[in-house]
Amino acid sequence: MNEITQFVDKHGYDILMHTYQHVYLCFFTLVIAVGIAVPLGIFLAHCRWRSIVASVMLTASIIQTIPALALIALIVVVCALIGWPTIGTFPAMIALVLYALLPILRNTYTGMRQIDPAVVEVARGMGMQPRQVLFQVELPLSLPVIMAGIRTATVWTIGIATLCALIGAGGLGDLIMRGLRSIQIDYLLAGTIPAAILAVVADWILARVEQWLTPPAQSATSLSES
Amino acid sequence: MIQFEHVSKAFPGGTLAVDDLTLDVRPGETLVLLGTSGSGKTTSMKMVNRLIEPTAGHIRVDGQDVMEQDPITLRRKIGYAIQHIGLFTHMTVAQNIAVVPRLLHWSRERIDDRIDELLTMVGLKPQEFRRRYPAQLSGGQRQRVGVARALAADPPIVLMDEPFGALDPITREQLQDEFLAVESEIQKTIVFVTHDVFEAVKMGDRIALLDDGRLQQLDTPHNLVERPANEFVKAFLQHHHVQLKLMTRKISTIVEEGNSAPEDTTSLAKLQANDSLLTALGKMKDTSAERIPVFRQGRPIGTLARQRLLTTIAESLGLSESQS
Repeated sequence: MNEITQFVDKHGYDILMHTYQHVYLCFFTLVIAVGIAVPLGIFLAHCRWRSIVASVMLTASIIQTIPALALIALIVVVCALIGWPTIGTFPAMIALVLYALLPILRNTYTGMRQIDPAVVEVARGMGMQPRQVLFQVELPLSLPVIMAGIRTATVWTIGIATLCALIGAGGLGDLIMRGLRSIQIDYLLAGTIPAAILAVVADWILARVEQWLTPPAQSATSLSES
Repeated sequence: MIQFEHVSKAFPGGTLAVDDLTLDVRPGETLVLLGTSGSGKTTSMKMVNRLIEPTAGHIRVDGQDVMEQDPITLRRKIGYAIQHIGLFTHMTVAQNIAVVPRLLHWSRERIDDRIDELLTMVGLKPQEFRRRYPAQLSGGQRQRVGVARALAADPPIVLMDEPFGALDPITREQLQDEFLAVESEIQKTIVFVTHDVFEAVKMGDRIALLDDGRLQQLDTPHNLVERPANEFVKAFLQHHHVQLKLMTRKISTIVEEGNSAPEDTTSLAKLQANDSLLTALGKMKDTSAERIPVFRQGRPIGTLARQRLLTTIAESLGLSESQS
């Protein structure tokens, strides 16, 4: 116990800074990923051409199958080829965003597609504009599913972001690498434990957001019929 | 009010869902589109508010071709109700009813008043039901909300697609009766889609029987049963012929007016002038009285005698000859 307090005393600031970097990296990654994947998922759900839907989904799935480490390396190489920064937050974020796309995209698409077409039709039949149908009916109804996708993406991103220390993006991965290089368990734990806590806390917060956005009666009983 | 003129709808695959339909829905009447699934009844209805667009012919609402009207504006002045899945599960009862008034930018007070008025009209206590979600309602309650929602902005025309379809028979019957009572007060032009002959006969002022996209007969329930226009109509009604005959004939012609039967007013049974023979038979069965008082709009107009009812029933079923 004493050793831990000592360690925290000595490296507390370090841990805090790295946690901050980590949160920063993940937060903006997720904002960008949601900004891309949700509109794209909505578009795909309304898209008549099956081939477009299939190819976008396939692309996202293929990206997902690339091991995270390989994806990061790949981004760095590609960045180098086209003359973009190869070190730091920028390439890291590209890799993380690509990785976070699939769960959000897939869930947005599924969430929108599982809505009973009759409900959308009745909304149109009542005189809603397409925009009103989307924001007042389709999105609220698919929100729980979309949020589940965002939660999955969040947990993944927080985990994978530790790898980004390899390309100088900082974050808790730095501490883990330091522990690895010097074979010191303290550093390893100083990186791992906050990362795990971050994932749990972020997931919890998003669960609360989801609950807050979902009407009380819908979540519990929407599947049961009278 | 609504005119179909040689309306056809061909779907991309080439199937002709509606084939040269011409009919006229009169102001204030309830016109039932009756048919089996695939008969084109729902397609016909959805063409009125342009959820589906005709491939040939014209549909006029208030004299104006729907294809020349803005679909959004058109739909906001036509009420629309479908089976209970049509309620928005993420909105409360009040929010569901408020959808069209909000689209029309009514003031908040006006919307609130209207919600209370409508809930009361369909028999739900406003203070109890306003804040509930559809998942917290029974099937019958949901359907009441669906009807209230369709009437929210007081549209002159209401389209109803099997509005009581997903209910158990008892609740369905009850809602039909309630709706008839509401409807007699509000006087809407209603296009009502159903596959249920009994519902059609009960709800409709006139019935348009469709088959395979073609109009087979457009007539009052009575004429449809008594004078089928072709073999299809005959065959369609054959199965329930006896019951339909008794349902479509009103007792008003056989009521003995004037003497309000003093000796029998003790009986609790009561009939309305526009009740059917079948209803009268049911009431008669439950009472020992020889005569049942008949009312029209709450005022007694005469009595119905047991013997007269039974003879009329026998006559309309064509049984009387064997008696003589």
